[in-house]
Amino acid sequence: MLSERVAEASSRRGFLARTGRALLAVAGGGFVLEAMRAQKAEAYHFCGHIYTTGSCPHPVGLPRVDALGFPLRAADGHAVDDLGRPIDKLGRPVDAHGDVLLDPDGNPLPAAPRTRVCQKAGSEFGFHGQIDGAWYRCCGGHVRKLIDCCGYTRKRINGDAALTGYCYSGRHVFCVMYYDTKIPC
Amino acid sequence: MVGTVRAARHRGRAGAAFAAGLALGAAAVFVALGAIGAAVSGRWLVIAAVAIGAAAVASDALGLRVRPQIHYQVPEPWRRELPVPRALFLYGLLLGTGLTTYVPATAAWALPALSLALGDVRASLAIALGFAAGRALPVLLLAVHGDETVLAERPRGLRLLRVLVAASLLVALFAGTVRAAETVAFPANDPSVVGTDLAWQRPGVGGFIDRAGTLAQLPGNDPAVGGTFVAWHVGPAVTVADRTTLAPVVQDTIPGVQKLAVSRSWLAYRTPTEIHVRPVGTTGPGDVLAKVKQPSTLGRPAIGVDLVAFDRSSQGSSWITAVNASSGRRLVLRFSGDDQLLNPSLLDGQLLYVRSTRCAQQLVLGPARVGGRDRVLYQLGPLAGQDKGHEPGHTEQGERVPCRPKPRITAKVLWTTALSPTTAYVTVLRPGSGRRMVPTLVSVPRK
Repeated sequence: MLSERVAEASSRRGFLARTGRALLAVAGGGFVLEAMRAQKAEAYHFCGHIYTTGSCPHPVGLPRVDALGFPLRAADGHAVDDLGRPIDKLGRPVDAHGDVLLDPDGNPLPAAPRTRVCQKAGSEFGFHGQIDGAWYRCCGGHVRKLIDCCGYTRKRINGDAALTGYCYSGRHVFCVMYYDTKIPC
Repeated sequence: MVGTVRAARHRGRAGAAFAAGLALGAAAVFVALGAIGAAVSGRWLVIAAVAIGAAAVASDALGLRVRPQIHYQVPEPWRRELPVPRALFLYGLLLGTGLTTYVPATAAWALPALSLALGDVRASLAIALGFAAGRALPVLLLAVHGDETVLAERPRGLRLLRVLVAASLLVALFAGTVRAAETVAFPANDPSVVGTDLAWQRPGVGGFIDRAGTLAQLPGNDPAVGGTFVAWHVGPAVTVADRTTLAPVVQDTIPGVQKLAVSRSWLAYRTPTEIHVRPVGTTGPGDVLAKVKQPSTLGRPAIGVDLVAFDRSSQGSSWITAVNASSGRRLVLRFSGDDQLLNPSLLDGQLLYVRSTRCAQQLVLGPARVGGRDRVLYQLGPLAGQDKGHEPGHTEQGERVPCRPKPRITAKVLWTTALSPTTAYVTVLRPGSGRRMVPTLVSVPRK
């Protein structure tokens, strides 16, 4: 429906969404407001995501990343390597208490590769993955940055046609991820 | 068939001919499948075999109709035109191939797939003999004690038989996936093997050597065997000794030495950030083969003739590298930007190493050359779990999890390796009482 399309297009544009919502409310009344509610994040797999594009491949599952795009464990924001193990700042695996795991000689167990999630999506699916733009939502009391992993690809991770989203210069959205900021909202 | 055996003048000879034909026919087919499986072994083959096996288990357990069925029967005129024992031998030969007559259980179709996936001629021969026995025994027993209508009149017996077949196949499938790993020593770490001599380190105690079943403690730590030598160190004091008499051949001081590898011609050692090699009969630091800046790490070195192999781990990627100690030529044997590759061993052009992926830890054997096809000898679950892929209160639409089906995670870590002509050795680390992990040395057959 036209109202849904309009709502959907506006929903990923920051404060413009609120303006659009107000305008649509005036123009279309309750019907349009209902359409806006229907596209709330609960319809998709994580908060703030409002379209069908799937998660980027992530070692733990939910595509939570840090400010540089490296994988974090969604449950607690702990850094993880490509094997999904929690690690310290030097990439060495740690136990549940955050202590470095040691081999029988007392040396730290070796680090495993840790790859930026978008970059790994690109290498796994045969394109150069990069981050162009992002949008923001309030999730769990903090501002969440929702990030498109972009590339020169016609297909997205779901297997169907990729959209432009927040990608530029002819690139399309291949998959999505998110970064939870510490900014309260 | 029961009637034909019973009609023979010498039932014993006729039965033996039938059983021999069955065994020969089954052996020819299953051994060929095993040989083909060994040549084209691959993960997809195992997955297909397990899928067929699982379908057969379900079919037999539920008593479904056996499909597909072969409608081709053995040639009836043979029993009239040929001497009975010869005809029975040929009947057995045809039935043994599994390409003729009806089969009473779907499990029969899982056996060729299992044989192909195992890729092991001896195991395939065992399957063949089991298959032949399964086909021969009812005929021979009924020829002596009953007639062939007995089975047809007792369908519950056949039903029970199918359930038992399903159960045994399930056990075989499970046993195949968990492949036997036998504990060699505990606690024991860093194995090194040559011939029948196996050396290892017992943490906090010292080096040990097992000579064809006789265990002896060595006067030092981190032992390595190779050629006619055994090497160990006490702090920085390194000793290379005769492997039989333990008489020192070379003694030297190497500051920071941690791990050793020795061969007929070379001694390689690792310090916290470097790997060195030198001719086994000399002293001094030798040549530096690799150097890293921490937190990158170098693994324990291993020597195969002139090649010194070791792993290098960093947050960027993981390598297994080999350097020719004579020429200095460097080869990247394996590389991964995602997986962790650890602790190589070399023997006769074969490379044994540990590969940790997101969804499994594997002990892998393959040609040392680049691009060789690897085979998984032993496998443990991954080291980390996964979440649901979606947040609470949200739908599954668009979710993606790393491993499907969800694997069983483990705290055990596959660690250092050693390779003999018949056996692969690997240390399995388990969490100990402190942060330091406790090693168990296990062996896995190469085949």
